[in-house]
Amino acid sequence: MRFEIFKMAFESLFSNKTRSFLSMLGIIIGVATVIAVFAIGQAARNAVDEQFSGLSAKSIMVMGAGGRPGATASSKLSLDDVPAIKENSTYIESATGMVQGNGTVSYNSIESSVSLVGTDPDYFSVSNLDLEKGRFFDEDETKDKVAVIGSDVYSAFFEEGEEAIGVILTIAGKKIEIIGVLKESGGTLGRLSKDEAIYIPYLIANSSILGDRAQTMLALEVNNVDNVELATEEVTEILREEHGLKASAEDDFRIFDAGSMVGAAQDSAELMSTILTLVAAITLVVSGIGIMNVMFVTVAERTKEIGIAKAIGGKQADILSQFLMESVILSTIGGLIGVILGQSAIPIISNLNILAMASSFTGPLLGFSFSALVGITFGFYPALKASRLDPVDALRSE
Amino acid sequence: MKDNIAIELKDVKKSYYLSNGEEIPVLKGIDLRIKEGEFVALMGESGGGKTTLLNIIGCLHPLSEGEYLLDGEDIGSVRDDFTLAYIRNKKMGFIFQQFNLFTRKTAIKNVALPALYAGADRQEREEKAKDLLNRVGLGDRLGHKPTELSGGQQQRVAVARALVNEPEIILADEPTGALDSKSGLEVMEIFKNFKKDGKTVVMVTHTAEVAKFADRIIFLRDGKVIDRNYKLKSNY
Repeated sequence: MRFEIFKMAFESLFSNKTRSFLSMLGIIIGVATVIAVFAIGQAARNAVDEQFSGLSAKSIMVMGAGGRPGATASSKLSLDDVPAIKENSTYIESATGMVQGNGTVSYNSIESSVSLVGTDPDYFSVSNLDLEKGRFFDEDETKDKVAVIGSDVYSAFFEEGEEAIGVILTIAGKKIEIIGVLKESGGTLGRLSKDEAIYIPYLIANSSILGDRAQTMLALEVNNVDNVELATEEVTEILREEHGLKASAEDDFRIFDAGSMVGAAQDSAELMSTILTLVAAITLVVSGIGIMNVMFVTVAERTKEIGIAKAIGGKQADILSQFLMESVILSTIGGLIGVILGQSAIPIISNLNILAMASSFTGPLLGFSFSALVGITFGFYPALKASRLDPVDALRSE
Repeated sequence: MKDNIAIELKDVKKSYYLSNGEEIPVLKGIDLRIKEGEFVALMGESGGGKTTLLNIIGCLHPLSEGEYLLDGEDIGSVRDDFTLAYIRNKKMGFIFQQFNLFTRKTAIKNVALPALYAGADRQEREEKAKDLLNRVGLGDRLGHKPTELSGGQQQRVAVARALVNEPEIILADEPTGALDSKSGLEVMEIFKNFKKDGKTVVMVTHTAEVAKFADRIIFLRDGKVIDRNYKLKSNY
């Protein structure tokens, strides 16, 4: 019986192909939109994850506030603050500092401006950097002219597979030996990509290479994710005291914690996805109303058939289920086509670089289940009306 | 003929209400007994309430007042769709003036549909439908749609459909009204067989030629029975 109802519903939809297709169109577009939206949202989340993959949630960064409008003095932030933090803080597990700037690097007749990072050996562990080859510099080498290069720097100056360890680069006129090459990390350090930088000992960078152009940055790691906020307050106090700031003076540094940076980026990605999802949901609801209209027309057209069905013993339940089945078939087939269209559009759109999209499991699942729900919800009322028609009135209609 | 009463109506009234609430009485107190196996014709002027009465007997209409007993059981007060649909499906077969076939379905599907509602499986339905279409002389038209059949043939399909669940009662509303006299007579020949099968038949008609096939003619006027055993004039 159930299968027969399904068959009857299908036959009746098939006998009116154009109308069936048109009423499906809304659902198709709606579901494809849901999938596209989820794909965009997924891509945005992936981008955030990738961007911050190099940062642990326990990381805190301190930067000078010298360039900030309203700052009264240029920042006193320096690597001398690192031992002070290490000594006085209860929440900071490890601390390292660096200076940052640009310098001209040349090797083998290739010359290029590269980001230079002067740091101490702790930096590599705090920043989650791994070696592809060679080694990091250690405590004994803080005055040596050695460098660890990022993966993009390697590919800029060397052929693939070429030996870089032991090579002498000319950096801002100074000869410096490469002792390590980093694995690709994808991470960033403020505006700087970790893969595009050359890392050299802090003292060398500060004294002979960057000089006044250096921008100081401290990278700290908190002992526990839950203490990030406390640690931020504590570091602020330590630094204010260290820099001799009066109570009325503004901080001459800025503190960023990785968690809130990632959180903010995730929030904006989420917001975008929420807005787009809402748009898609509206599309589906509108398409549901379209289906409802079509079902009402169908019921009106087949009023006489409904009367006949009742006269020969069709129950309300039979008639309700047949019409409901029709709208469910319409919306689920529409949903299925939407899923197929949406999913196959994702690789095309992202390969054409129109929009970043990544398939998600939630998109198709949600789109499809929502389409079925739309079919049931918006098909129910017309079907109920059909089932409750008075048989004699229905028979009389032409 | 057995003397069991198949259909009994006691002071049945039926009114329609206009949208302004005005009452239009159609049946004004009908008392009626139809015996099992009896072939009754309902005659009377248009607007006299024949079709309304038939629809009430067929459980298509609720009655406004009075009692309706079917096989001695009170049906007039039943409002439950499941029970009413069951009665229409299993106990009665309806035949209409305008055939009322599903135009998109083949003859065999049309005939099989009440059996589908009754829950019969596909094989059983189609066998019964085929058998009935053979009996009404349409064994070679099983796959034809109503539009491919003549009026007489369509009405014979409708008759087969009315019989598919082996109902005890056949209700016919001017079954020959849309047919030429030859096809009409062919249909009435089938009606004659109903008697042999012991079926109770209630048929609305306004032509004496058709009414004469009945055992008894009930004459209605203005919502009342004015003659329970109306005699046709002798020239018919």
